Amino acid sequence: MKPVRLIVVLLFCYGVVPLVLGHDAYVIGLVVSALTIAGVALAWAMLGNLGGMVSFGHAAFFGVGAYASALLTMKAGWPVLPAMIAAGVVAAVASIATMPALRLKGPYFALAILAYAEIFRILATELKSVTGGAAGILSIPRLPVLLGFDLGTKLGGYVVVLTLVLLTVLGYHLIRRSPHGLALKAMHDSEDATRVIGVNATALKAMMLAVSAFFTGLMGAFNAHYINFLEPDYAFAGLWTTLAIVSAIFGGYRTLWGPMVGALAVYLIDQLVFKAVLPQGHQIILGALLGIMVLFSPGGLLPLLARLGRNPSKEAAHA
Amino acid sequence: MLELLAQSSFSGLLAGAYYALIALGLALVFGTMRVINLAHGELVLLAGYVAYGAETKLGLDPLASIPLAVAVVGLTSVIVYVLVSRIGKDRELNSLILTFGMGVIITNAVLMIWSADIHSTNVPWYHDAVILGDTLFAMQAELLFGAIGLVTVGAVWWWLEKTWYGRAVRAVASNRDAAKLMGINPRTTEVLSFAMAGLLASLAGVALYTGKVIQPSLGHNLTVKAFIITVLAGMGSVPGVLLGAVLLGIVESVTVTVASSALQELAGMVLFLVVLLVMPSGLFGRARRRG
Repeated sequence: MKPVRLIVVLLFCYGVVPLVLGHDAYVIGLVVSALTIAGVALAWAMLGNLGGMVSFGHAAFFGVGAYASALLTMKAGWPVLPAMIAAGVVAAVASIATMPALRLKGPYFALAILAYAEIFRILATELKSVTGGAAGILSIPRLPVLLGFDLGTKLGGYVVVLTLVLLTVLGYHLIRRSPHGLALKAMHDSEDATRVIGVNATALKAMMLAVSAFFTGLMGAFNAHYINFLEPDYAFAGLWTTLAIVSAIFGGYRTLWGPMVGALAVYLIDQLVFKAVLPQGHQIILGALLGIMVLFSPGGLLPLLARLGRNPSKEAAHA
Repeated sequence: MLELLAQSSFSGLLAGAYYALIALGLALVFGTMRVINLAHGELVLLAGYVAYGAETKLGLDPLASIPLAVAVVGLTSVIVYVLVSRIGKDRELNSLILTFGMGVIITNAVLMIWSADIHSTNVPWYHDAVILGDTLFAMQAELLFGAIGLVTVGAVWWWLEKTWYGRAVRAVASNRDAAKLMGINPRTTEVLSFAMAGLLASLAGVALYTGKVIQPSLGHNLTVKAFIITVLAGMGSVPGVLLGAVLLGIVESVTVTVASSALQELAGMVLFLVVLLVMPSGLFGRARRRG
């Protein structure tokens, strides 16, 4: 992205959006949720695009991050922001447990990760002494006041989640540009050939899984401090995975900005339009969107727009 | 304790016959098209809801609603096939996402039409208890659909082994191009396998409605169970699917007996991961690399 364009985007995100929407608690709340999903979608897409692995169990890392941060602040007395980073690390460490699945491919990997997510959820429900069981954890500390600005408000939450998502985009960008990114791209074309020239494919995949888990856990931790409440069925809900997949596929999971654009578009339209029209079962639209995108534009929205020539996005052309 | 174990193994056995109905459809489709139909559990659920609708609106007995369920679910299954077959590139990944989306559509359609309430049949006969040999209890529905499950799996096995179309399905599964050279139209066999999956899902759905409960969020769970069984069985083995299903049924119901019902799903998942990671070709399948 050109520096000028980047500055415009940043000004828009940090300046215009809060000014225009800041007074509307409902809408800004929806934007915060959409950005939370955007973060997970980005982490999912990193693994899918660079690692070539489709995961149906990212809710596992989201839930682990949420619980880790809540417990670190409440039981170990950590401040919120360091606890969130640590929670990302805990999620990355938890991903080590899922790494035996790396030698599986395609649907086997996807569903093995799903099995892990189920196991994590059941453990969170059963380990009552640590997690409070199915009753959940109440009054998780809110985000702190930083430099005189209260991050615990809706608007503060917006600034925090926006920053986290943009950092995720930056991390994704740096990995993609690094030699590792190149090796991963080559691996995508032919794993065997890449192994032959001396790339440790398994180590690279493991690294991508850990990085993806880290960012997902970070979003889970943010969400826990933002809504101040956790229960296993919520923190490990399959919906975190579903929404992330829909967003990434809709926006374009091989592009840098696609997952974020997809999450904002899908979630906001779902909540503001479809939910109003169809109070029950409005997610049917999400399923239909997935089907339509896969059939008619497997690359996603951004490449589609680029192809139509109205908005020749550089990222899309790259991907 | 021994009596309890005998009872839970028996319940697991009956559950296994019903699980086999679900898993066999998934395995058939995977065999012919190398596509994991993530909407398969939702098809089962849809059949359960058709039976519910037929009972409440038309006053049909669940057994009598099976043809209706077969029609609706078979058609839906073929629609899934038509859409999957239109995927242009990267079919392995895109079919996962497409069928996942179809599952979301079916779940929400069910939610919109029938709401999120839990239902089971109101015909008391199905829930009546039967006592076998003084100690083993079962519901009539469990026994009935256990028997239907066994007979159906046997029939599918016979179909695959002995009939021309069944052999065609197996031929396409083992080598698509060679099958084409032998004059088999792969598309016909693919449609057949999806239609057969729909038929099996219909039976399983009615079994679910009479022997257990139906609820919109269940579909996903059923898909995962079917996949677990397919993995346990290893590819390309009908008796393997039956044994895998029975194994899962028994493991689940023994877990409930000796530990708690909260751990039922956990046991299945752990079994799944262990087999997936330690025995790559499944318990009964031929050796084959995953992926």
